[in-house]
Amino acid sequence: MRILYAALLCAVPLPAQWLNYPTKGTPRNPDGKANLSAPVPHRADGKPEMTGVWMGVTKYMINIAADIKEMPFQPAAAAEYQRRRASESKDDPSAQCLPLSPPLRVSITSPFKLIDVAEKEEMLMLNEGMRQREIFMDGRPLPKAPEPSWYGYSIGRWGGDDLVVESIGFNGKLWLDINGHPTSDALHLTERYHRKDFGHMSVEITIDDPKMYTKPWTVHEETRLLADTELLEAVCENNQDPAHMIGK
Amino acid sequence: MKLAASIASILILAPAAWCHHSFAAEFDGSKRVTLQGTVTKVEWTNPHIYVYLNVKDTSGAVTEWACEGGPPNVLLREGWSRTSVKEGDQVTIEGALAKDGSKRCNSRTVNLADGRKVFAGSSEDNAATNPGRGKQ
Repeated sequence: MRILYAALLCAVPLPAQWLNYPTKGTPRNPDGKANLSAPVPHRADGKPEMTGVWMGVTKYMINIAADIKEMPFQPAAAAEYQRRRASESKDDPSAQCLPLSPPLRVSITSPFKLIDVAEKEEMLMLNEGMRQREIFMDGRPLPKAPEPSWYGYSIGRWGGDDLVVESIGFNGKLWLDINGHPTSDALHLTERYHRKDFGHMSVEITIDDPKMYTKPWTVHEETRLLADTELLEAVCENNQDPAHMIGK
Repeated sequence: MKLAASIASILILAPAAWCHHSFAAEFDGSKRVTLQGTVTKVEWTNPHIYVYLNVKDTSGAVTEWACEGGPPNVLLREGWSRTSVKEGDQVTIEGALAKDGSKRCNSRTVNLADGRKVFAGSSEDNAATNPGRGKQ
């Protein structure tokens, strides 16, 4: 066991960029660590402050439908999903460093940062892959005929104390998880972000995609706040995997 | 062996690494390999780090292997750095072999000659510990 302790002690955090830097306004325990159970902070207008570095607790990263007994697949979607499973997800777009779907974004063990730009009526979602989502909170409608895109077009509003984000205009190439639950260009995504306390936020995601699923379905993700840290750059510069991903 | 087993179980319980891709698409978890050799290069890059090592077989022939590890940011948050393993280090890497027969592995554990274990956490850990995998 002595060797084991030595191994663990060697893994002390090293100062690197802003990996460890106290964040202003963070409630503290007597030992100086962030109090993740402290109450939700609020903006001047009483709405919850959502700004922070968050990370999923991974339950649905591999399989978003892990707790759904019967998936409401359309026949073509079921076939496509089976094809992806049979090939061990070798065609997963994220393996080619292409964008992650919003459900995968909040479940994967790589952080994202929400920034509430209240005075601009906008919410920004950044991630370490240097890609951003803009969520417009100014009351604009969803576009009528959006140009298909990876992240789609997002508008947000407050539903009580929840940040509710609606998105359309996706390109149909997104996978909802590593297993490969499919999407189409008809995807209408609703995300409901609920900050439960200082360090915990749940995200309810409803997938309404009539080309792929016979009815809307919902998953509940959980995230936790990464205190006293910031996003670190992660540019996908050395992706050797696709050339070796042969599947079965 | 008992010590090795307890360390392995703790590594499996370590915070899961970011799973950038399907582990099973590229590696065969049932084909284990233990590589002992000299580090020739470390690529501290995204989406994965790579440790290259020269491994000598019983006939004296040397083969270079490339072993994939986690993403740098996950490893940084676990307390590791780009200098945790350096060129010239003697290492023993246990992992899973690539399915395509190339001299590549997904490293589950990396042991330095002085007994330190570095870079805990691999995409295989994630696949092994995620209860949802393969259900649907």
